[in-house]
Amino acid sequence: MTESAQQAQTEEIDLTAANAVIDKYQDMHGALMPVLQEIQEAYGYIPEETVHLTAERLNVYASQIYGVLTFYAQFHLEPRGKYIIRVCMGTACHVKGAGRIGDTIKERLGVGHAETTEDLLFTAEYVACIGACGMAPVIMVNDATYGSISVQKTDEVIQKYQELG
Amino acid sequence: MVNLTIDGKQVTVSKTATIYEAACEAGVHIPVLCYAKKLMPYGACRVCLVEVEQMKGRLIPACTTPVTEGMVVTSTSDEIVKVRKTVLEFLLVNHVVDCPVCDKGGECDLQDLTYEYEVVSNRFEGEKFDLPTDEVNPLIERNMNRCVLCGKCARVCDEIVGYGSYSFINRGFETKIATAFDRGLNCEFCGQCVSMCPVGAILPRPFKFKARPWQLKEIDSVCGYCGNGCTVTLGTKDNKVETIRFNDKTGVNDGNLCVRGRFGYSFINSEDRLTKPLIRENGSLVETSWDKALARVADGLKQSGSETGIVTGARLTNEELFLLRNVAKALGSENIDHSGGECYKGLTEGLQQTLGLQASTATFPQVENCDAILSIRSDFYETHPVFGMVVNQAVRRNDAKLTVIADKRGKFTKLPEAKTLLHKPGLEVNLINAMCRVLLDEGLAKTERLSGVDELKAALADYAPETVAETTGVSVDAIRTAARELAAAENAAILLAYGLPYTAASKELGIAAANLSLLTGIAGRTGSGLYVCGEKNNSQGAIDLAVMPGATGLGAQQMLSAAAQGQLKALYVVGEDMVSSYPDRKAVELALDKVPFLVVQDLFLSPTAQMADVVLPAASFAEKDGTFTNAERRIQRVRAAVPSPGDARTDFNILSDVLSAFGAQAPATAAEAFAQLTADTAAYQGISLDMLGAQGYVWGTDILTPITRNLVAVAGSKPLDAAHQLLVGSALYHSGTMSTHAKGPMAVVSEPYIEFGREDAKALNVAEGDLVKLSADGEIIEAKAKVDNRLPQGVLFAPYHFSALGLNKIYRGQPAIAVQVGK
Ligand code: SF4
Ligand code: SF4
Ligand code: SF4
Ligand code: FES
Ligand code: FES
Repeated sequence: MTESAQQAQTEEIDLTAANAVIDKYQDMHGALMPVLQEIQEAYGYIPEETVHLTAERLNVYASQIYGVLTFYAQFHLEPRGKYIIRVCMGTACHVKGAGRIGDTIKERLGVGHAETTEDLLFTAEYVACIGACGMAPVIMVNDATYGSISVQKTDEVIQKYQELG
Repeated sequence: MVNLTIDGKQVTVSKTATIYEAACEAGVHIPVLCYAKKLMPYGACRVCLVEVEQMKGRLIPACTTPVTEGMVVTSTSDEIVKVRKTVLEFLLVNHVVDCPVCDKGGECDLQDLTYEYEVVSNRFEGEKFDLPTDEVNPLIERNMNRCVLCGKCARVCDEIVGYGSYSFINRGFETKIATAFDRGLNCEFCGQCVSMCPVGAILPRPFKFKARPWQLKEIDSVCGYCGNGCTVTLGTKDNKVETIRFNDKTGVNDGNLCVRGRFGYSFINSEDRLTKPLIRENGSLVETSWDKALARVADGLKQSGSETGIVTGARLTNEELFLLRNVAKALGSENIDHSGGECYKGLTEGLQQTLGLQASTATFPQVENCDAILSIRSDFYETHPVFGMVVNQAVRRNDAKLTVIADKRGKFTKLPEAKTLLHKPGLEVNLINAMCRVLLDEGLAKTERLSGVDELKAALADYAPETVAETTGVSVDAIRTAARELAAAENAAILLAYGLPYTAASKELGIAAANLSLLTGIAGRTGSGLYVCGEKNNSQGAIDLAVMPGATGLGAQQMLSAAAQGQLKALYVVGEDMVSSYPDRKAVELALDKVPFLVVQDLFLSPTAQMADVVLPAASFAEKDGTFTNAERRIQRVRAAVPSPGDARTDFNILSDVLSAFGAQAPATAAEAFAQLTADTAAYQGISLDMLGAQGYVWGTDILTPITRNLVAVAGSKPLDAAHQLLVGSALYHSGTMSTHAKGPMAVVSEPYIEFGREDAKALNVAEGDLVKLSADGEIIEAKAKVDNRLPQGVLFAPYHFSALGLNKIYRGQPAIAVQVGK
């Protein structure tokens, strides 16, 4: 995304929720992490404008906040899909063809690792072993796990969530 | 003190020293990369590892480890060398080694260490960084492929500058230094990060491919912009100033500079410099010889004699100001003045009436150890940025409590825990009065040796915090707290800047600030100080040398009115663009138009010079020898680094010639002039040039004791009743009008603007970059809008540096101007 496009997009963000979060922590020292976590909870990701707001209100440099946001994998700087498809790329899944599953998702939805569909319905994420090697290859959609998955089953899963909307 | 041994050498150092500092003391060389004297210990790079007998079994970082009694340190051993080599090998794995085209080559710590440790091969292999170079701004280039992750840039920008551009982002191999959202750099452009980077990762763009470091000649001089008086080491090649070199050994600024000092030197090389004298013939200015020009000047001034007016800027050296005064004497005229004649009255009348002084009472460095700091106006950072960085250090490192009496927000108001008394424009005196009242009411005032206590008490009857809170819009609590904190602090400072855009109530503000400094005991107390700082590089020199009207003489404003009424025969203007920068442009133009003979001596054909009968091309600070006195009374040496362009001459030479034309004796050299002026100036008596060492010489010693301790009652003002009020002031990137000829500052702020707060912008439907018109008193000015969050509702701001804006058509010295906003 270009700088101006990103800015244009962030300008429309309603900051009420972020302000409410900061209100709660305003007088606490070292409250940056919980503030960012709750902002992410409220918006599903960390919109740029909330970073500047947090910087201003907590008197922290925006650069520092950005440092924190990029250090921890838990934070997302781009809007994320309603459904997060986690594709396990751990050893067991890899051996059993996780690559093909990833490719299928890319083909059907047009998103690779850490990418989100334009309609904000799906975000794909390639992750390390999720601890279900017995049913490799495995994908997860939000909290639901789908084991022994094939290309065809992947299609079905995608379709199911597309219908749910 | 602690005794230790390093490589067999005994050394005694303070107990807060680190092993590295002790080694420097002992003359033992330990390599460092992430260490910097002015930054807090960090310990990231591990090249400074040493062995300590008492801590066997591991290597100890010398730069962070404090010394202990009896420590036995070994700085080099086979093992240490091996480890250092490994560290270097690791750094060189991903580092793009492009020394042949890197501007840092020849003074790069990584290059030097690689050479010193003979790292000719690398046992490790890895991907080279391949990151795009940040070339978004015209001043600073960042090439993160060369970064060694020492963190110095991020630390200096935080610890010293207080801007916070950088942070480490990402993890592992991806770790790098970046700005928020990894964008191009957009900051104050002070260049501190440039000077701290040990490698070629952050470089000054204007210097790219200009010279190898060893080809540069270095000349230590003093910045020609503001009263901060920073040392600038000019790097010249082939008689051209190509860059400003890092120098933390000389002067008061610890190697720190602001954008003007670091990148503003380019006005020296400007194409627009005057190179030939000009003389008016048949209505237009034409080039002429020095002989003809000087003859015309001598002729004209001889005729006008005692009816000549002399007006100068505060950028000349002390020696030149001294000659200028002699010119006045030779003419039998007492009409001599500088800087508009009003703005400095806080010192010459305000502090004079109260403290019997006309200068700041203490020096800059001690502010770092202050517990409480009161800044009158947030713009202090804009006018004196590097002193502002000392304030930042006090706040960040030593938890100094900072209070800002401000009509707008700014850098200072954003510092950690800063308290802002955000008031309606023009009411600073009211607030200070209220603070004085709190001190007196609550028995916190140190009134023992003061005179005028009862009179002040009586006069402050109208300044109860409750009343003042109502007029100013500041809360009662905030006023009380500010007063109490200042009184309670062991070491405290009061800061006030003056200059052409801050003309209103200058005397009253000086008095009010001095009253507060007396009641709190700040004036004259060791560790504390009242700082009244002039805008220009030699503002204080001009005051010290009394470049002001004599008993029967006219001040700058009076000269202008006299000229307008046909009562002044000639005006000699030196280094001052009155038309562009003095309040009330119409009046100035009228006066210059009416005066029968106008001589202007300047670097550029300014709007003032364009009206002259004779224009004399003068030299910049980089072309002259002499001294400047900065705002803390530090007399420092200015040294010629390059010749002047064309036929331009130093003001010193021109004034000598003018004096000779009158048959008056002029000192032959700047050194001779210095000897004469010190003999002639009470405060400078006994000071000789060789006393001006690396740190210059502070006249009157570090702490100046008040001669008198008179409290003087002074009245505040009433708020201006107008929906939209315009404030006039300084912008960080500029100083006077001179910086508008410098590429560096112009690259950042290239044109005038009118600043709006977000609420006003929304209400007025003004967006960034829109052309807006302000009208006042039948005059209209027009500029692009700038929108941000510094200004309270109803308050607008415009910087005064740009002649083209014509701001002084509506600015006549008021604290705030009632304006109508239109598009
Ligand atoms: S130029 Fe100054 S303000 Fe900008 S990043 Fe470097 S140190 Fe910080
Ligand atoms: S850019 Fe320079 S100063 Fe900053 S971390 Fe890298 S090497 Fe150090
Ligand atoms: S303009 Fe002032 S603060 Fe900036 S470098 Fe020059 S003397 Fe220092
Ligand atoms: S490798 Fe996929 S679940 Fe363990
Ligand atoms: S200089 Fe000591 S760890 Fe970098």
